[in-house]
Formats: sequence, structure tokens, C-alpha cells
Amino acid sequence: MIDLNLTILPDLLLAAMLIGLAWAALSSDDLRRGVVLFIAFGLLLAIVWARLQAPDLALAEAAIGAGLSGALLLVALRDGVAGNETAGKLSRLSRWLVDLFVLIMTCLIGWVLWLTIYAEPVERLAQLANTMLDRSGVSNPVTAVLLNYRAYDTLLELVVVLTAVLGVVVVGRQRRGYRQAGPVFCGLVQWLVPLLVVTAGYLLWVGAHAPGGAFQAGATLAAAGIVLRLAGYDAAGLPDGRLLRWLLVAGTGLFLLIGLGVTLSGGAVLQYPEAWSGSLILLIESAATASIAAALVLAYRGGRPGDWSSAGDRDPNREVST
Amino acid sequence: MNNLLIWPIAVPLFSALLALLWIRRSTWIGVFGTALSLLVVLLVGRQVVESGPIELALGGWTPGLGIALRADGLSLLMLLMSSLVSMAVAVYASVYFSKAERRGEFWVLWLLLITALHALFLSGDLFNLYVTLELLGLSAVVLACLGGSRESLQAALRYLVMGLLGSMAFLIGVALIYAGYGTLDMAALADAIEAGPAAWLALSLMTGGLLIKSALFPLHFWLPPAHANAPAPVSAVLSALVVKAALYLILRLWLSLFDGVVTQAAAVILGLLGAVAVVWGSWAALQAERLKLMAAYSTVAQLGYLFLFLPLLTALPEGAARDVALGALVLLALTHGFAKSAFFLAAGVIMQRAGHDRIAELGGTARALPVTAFTLALAGVALIGLPPSGSFLAKWHLLSSAFITGQYVWLPVIAVGTLLAGAYIFRLLGYAFAPGEGVGPSLSAGREEIPAVLLALIATLLLGFWASAVWELLPISAYVGGGA
Repeated sequence: MIDLNLTILPDLLLAAMLIGLAWAALSSDDLRRGVVLFIAFGLLLAIVWARLQAPDLALAEAAIGAGLSGALLLVALRDGVAGNETAGKLSRLSRWLVDLFVLIMTCLIGWVLWLTIYAEPVERLAQLANTMLDRSGVSNPVTAVLLNYRAYDTLLELVVVLTAVLGVVVVGRQRRGYRQAGPVFCGLVQWLVPLLVVTAGYLLWVGAHAPGGAFQAGATLAAAGIVLRLAGYDAAGLPDGRLLRWLLVAGTGLFLLIGLGVTLSGGAVLQYPEAWSGSLILLIESAATASIAAALVLAYRGGRPGDWSSAGDRDPNREVST
Repeated sequence: MNNLLIWPIAVPLFSALLALLWIRRSTWIGVFGTALSLLVVLLVGRQVVESGPIELALGGWTPGLGIALRADGLSLLMLLMSSLVSMAVAVYASVYFSKAERRGEFWVLWLLLITALHALFLSGDLFNLYVTLELLGLSAVVLACLGGSRESLQAALRYLVMGLLGSMAFLIGVALIYAGYGTLDMAALADAIEAGPAAWLALSLMTGGLLIKSALFPLHFWLPPAHANAPAPVSAVLSALVVKAALYLILRLWLSLFDGVVTQAAAVILGLLGAVAVVWGSWAALQAERLKLMAAYSTVAQLGYLFLFLPLLTALPEGAARDVALGALVLLALTHGFAKSAFFLAAGVIMQRAGHDRIAELGGTARALPVTAFTLALAGVALIGLPPSGSFLAKWHLLSSAFITGQYVWLPVIAVGTLLAGAYIFRLLGYAFAPGEGVGPSLSAGREEIPAVLLALIATLLLGFWASAVWELLPISAYVGGGA
């Protein structure tokens, strides 16, 4: 018997709205409307994560899921030729079949999850992760998982980000920039960009013991770049040529070098010496933040940057100037 | 603890980063990085042969909390195939892309693809496998885009969407497994997983996702356009290696992790789909007018054969007969990997010389490009399954397993598939060896033609005569659950 508690009502409302927004975003014929609904869905999902006491996920969802993905989707819509903005239409029958299939799968997965999580719970890894926390060099368990216990996953995820942005470079055309913003927006930018940079630094630093970390910080830093781009600064704060490529490589490269370097002291790959692990994690996260931000802004700009492969071939003294 | 295991992943990854930084030297870094990856794979191989399966607990954490890399017989064979094929293709690509505007990006993505393949074959953790699948899919899609034509972009976009759908299904399966068993470490899971709703649903979702990626009929539709429109070196690795990665995972799941969960009925369904794929793919290859499209449809058919083994494997009791069948499956996958990459490279050589790959206009190929025509013939021998190729042995054991288990329904499928394969190969050779002016006069073509002929020789001779190595390596298993 479920005891009907009034405090559960807002949560039920949230859940219903989440499903409703997801449905509306998926079934929207107008792509622009669908994207806006998707962004709203992301924000609501962030609130849901916060309600579930997963603030790390809430931050990541708000910054990356709703914010950056939304910005990328909107700028991709801007690429589309006018009149081509309606979603590809399936026939009504196949749409029904897809809906039915998804519904059945959702019910099945829900049922199995209910069976496994509530009916006969097993011991999972959270307990172990918390016990080992004082050996991990950080006090935020999420950061411990991402950068110590399962650091190898994170390393490969940084490689995924790098691959994705290379895809954008290979496939995309460079997008047109925006007109120089008016005085009001420029004034706002002068406040907003430093604020975002400082926030990113804070998120990066605080990740060691509270919700935050490289991905959230990188997304916030990228937001600063996007604001710059919208204000008419075409480079969006990114350097040119080889320096940009160094920036993209920094996160993965440093991670890999540290991961391999620690074996010199006799440990396994990625086994940080305990006294150093806090500082090493911060170092890796700083480089990762820079790389993630550069990758996201580059994806927002789209296409092959000017001087991408030729800058390195010219006079080395000229590359660094932006 | 054995840090050697990280090197097949770290070497190509580090080379990729270097190639991105020194994009002008990317060709040298690419070829050298591929060669170095092959070298470290050989070192890993020596250690596996000498001292059995190796495990590396990354970060020093116990597997479960941390991630373990594991190398055993099966993963070693896949690693050897991928590093040998990629070495040969890299030599060819250094010529193919020497003038291309995007060669820098090609080499970076190429090395990232090798990183992803090696990471996938070595991973001992289900979630980590998902990450490697994403990396593999993404780098493969971007490489397939490098053709730059509208068709290749469309095909690559479809490839991307299907790949993401597959990874998503795999990921949901992984989440269910974690919810049910509280760990993602595959060695622990091989002991823990029992038949039940969670295991069934997880297995179906993961298998479904992987079937999309391994292009089993009727989920194959993305493969022919994507593989046929990519640049030749890319088509070679897509057909030879990338689809095999999904197949490798299906084998791991079905034979090691979920060996108590899979039912004969499920295996028969996959076998039936494989049978349709064999017949339909071979038929479409026979109808194809372009060489690369023919090769791509032939991949659909050859993948079908591999799925024919599943109902036989589940029906055979654990023991010698089952090990023989499993070895035959792996041997067929390896032979196809080498033969198909050789075939695509030869197709690339012809396409660059002739400017087209329309089969009916290939007259004169044998005179202008004798080595390449020879490669096509050798690779054809392996694709049909004639002796002494590895696939001849593999099909022989496939037939005998069908007799042992009494599953006679597969016999006509194998017969029809082999006849159709013979038909499409001889149709091609008929045109290629006919007189004509379809292909221009030949230039010196050492670095272009030699890699392909070496790959074809591995498929027809090496894997035929030294096939016993496959059966010797496979029992070295890192997972106690089953034979693989």
C-alpha cells in the first residue's frame, strides 16, 4: 500500500511534465519548435536530477544536455536551407509501429528495472566507491569515479569528443559569423564572459570535493565562447592554427602521458601515487576543461578553421599570435 | 598487473595526437604509428602464447570498481587481424591520400579508429565496451565521409544514425546488467549471470544493438552504400574490421557471459537471419554493377555465414566438437577480414587507374594491372571458400557441425551461397581478364598493389595452411563461463 504523501505531488507533476515535453519535442513537425522543446526538456531533467539528489548530473545536464546541445542544434538549424525545416515525415502506419515498439520496450525495461532494483536489490558499487574515497585523492565520489576508479573511460570519452569535433571539421562548412552586436549586448558581453570564465574556473576547482568537474567547467567555458561568437567576434575566443590544435589535444594528451608516466613509479597504468593523486587529477581536469571548451566552441563555429593545416607550415613565430 | 596491455591502445592514440599536432607530417606519423601498433600487438601475442591470458587492472583498483583490460586467445586473434590488415591498408593509403587535401584528418581518424578497435578487443568491462563502440562508430563514420561526395555523406549520416541506435540499445542492456548484478566487470559477470527476465532483456537489447552494427539481414541496409561510397582504404577497414568488432562482442556475450541464458530458439532465429543474408547478399552481389558495391554486398553475405554458426554452437555440447566449430567461425571471420580488405584495395587501385569501377567495363585489367587482377582472383578464392583458403576449412567444419547436430536445414543455404559467390567472383574475373581498353596503361605501382596481394595471400595460403594456430589459441580464455 503506497502511503499517499503530499510531498510526492510536485515530483509526480515533474515526471508528468518531463514525459509530456519529451513527447511534444519528438512529435513536433516543426524542427525549430522541437529543438526549443528539447531544451526545455533538458532544463526540466536537470531539476529532476537535482530532486533525485544527483547534483553532479543536474549540473552536467543543464550545462551540456540543455545548454550546449541546444545551442548546437539551433545553429545547425540555421545551416538548414529555408523551407527544409520540417521533420522528415514517416507514414502514419510506420509512425504508429515505431511508437508501439518504443512503448512496449519502455514497459519491459521499466518492469525489469522494478524487478531488479526494488524486488531483490543487490549490492552495487556505491558502497565500495565510498570506502575507497580517502585513497582516491578527492572527496567528491563522482570525481573519484570519473578520474580515478574509471579514469580510463573518461580518457576514451575525451577521445570521443576529439573524434566528434574532427568530424565537424571534416564534414562541415565554416558558418557565417554574426553581425557586430549593438552597444547594449556588447555591454552585457563584457560582464557575461568574465563571469562565465570565473564560473568555469570555480566548477573546475570545486569538482574535487563538491559537484562540478571538467565536463561542466568545459561546457561553461564554451558558453563564454558562444556568447562572444553571437556578439560578432567570429573567432569566438579560439586561437588559430597550431595553437588551436594544441588546445584540442591537451586534455587527452596530458591524461595519457600522466596515465603512462605513473607506471615509472612501479604502479599500474593510471595508478596515481596516493600523495599526488589530488594534484594530478586537478592537472588532468584543467587540461580537459580547455580541450572540451575548445572542441565545443569549434563545433559551434563549424567547418574547417582557417589556417587549420597551413598555419603550422609557415613561419613558426607567427602561429601564436591570434 | 601487466602494463604491456595498454600499449596496443596507447601507441595508436598517442600517434593520433601527434598527427593532429604535426598535420603536415601526418602520413609518416600514420604509417609509423600503425607499424608500431602492430609491433606491440605482436609483443602482447607472444606473452599470451607463452603464459596464458593476461589482465591489467587499470589504476590498480580491483576489477569492478576499476576497469580491467584482458587479452586472451580470441581477443589476440582479432587484434592480430586488425593490426595486420591496418598495416597493409596504411601502406596503401599513404599513396592513395598522398595528394588529398584532407590527408591530415584522414591519418588522425585512422589512428583513432585503430585505437578504438584495439581498445574494444582488449576491454574487460561492459560500460567501457560501450565507450569503445561509440569511439569506433564515430571514427568510422567520419572516415566514411572523406569521400566528400553527396552520396557518401548521405550514406555516412545513415551509418551514424544506425550506429547510434545500436549503441543506445547496447547501453540500455548494460544498465540493466548493472542494475541486476551490481558490477560491470565481465569476468565477474561470467560467473554471476543467470537466466531470468533481466538477463534475457539485457541480452536481447545488447544483441539487437550489435546486430545493427554487424549488419545482419534485415538490418544490413546501411552497409552497402556506406562501404561502397567511402574511399577505398576506408572501405577496406570498414568491411574487414569494423563489422567484425560487433561480431566479436556477440561471440563474447553469447558464449562467455550469457552462456547459461541463451536459448536454442534465439540462436536459430539468428541463424535463419544469417541464412537469408547469405542468399540475399550473394544474389545482390551478383546483380551489382559496380565493383565496390559488389564487395559490400558480399560482406553482407559473408557476415551471414558467421551467424549460421550460432545455432550449431548452442546445440553442440561443451567439448571438442564445439571448440572445432568455434575455431571454424573465427577462422572464417579472419579469412574474410583479410580477403575483403585485399579486395577493396584492389578495387581502389582499379578505380584510380580507370576512373570508374563499373564491372562491365573492366576489360583489360589483367593486362594493365596484372598484380591487382591476381589479387582479385586470390581474394575471390577465399570469398568463395575454395581450397586452400582458410574459409574452405571453415566451411568444411560448418558443414560437419551441421551434420553432427542434425541441423540439415543449413546445408542448402551453404551450397547456394557458395555457388552464388562463385558466380559473382567468376563474373568479375571474366570481365577483368577479358581483353579491352577499360583500364589505362599501368604505371609502376609497388606500394599500391603489394599490400593488397599480401593480404590476399594471408587469406588464401597462410590461414589455410596454419589454420591450426586458431584452434590452439582459442582455448586460452580469460573468461571461465565458456569456450571463448
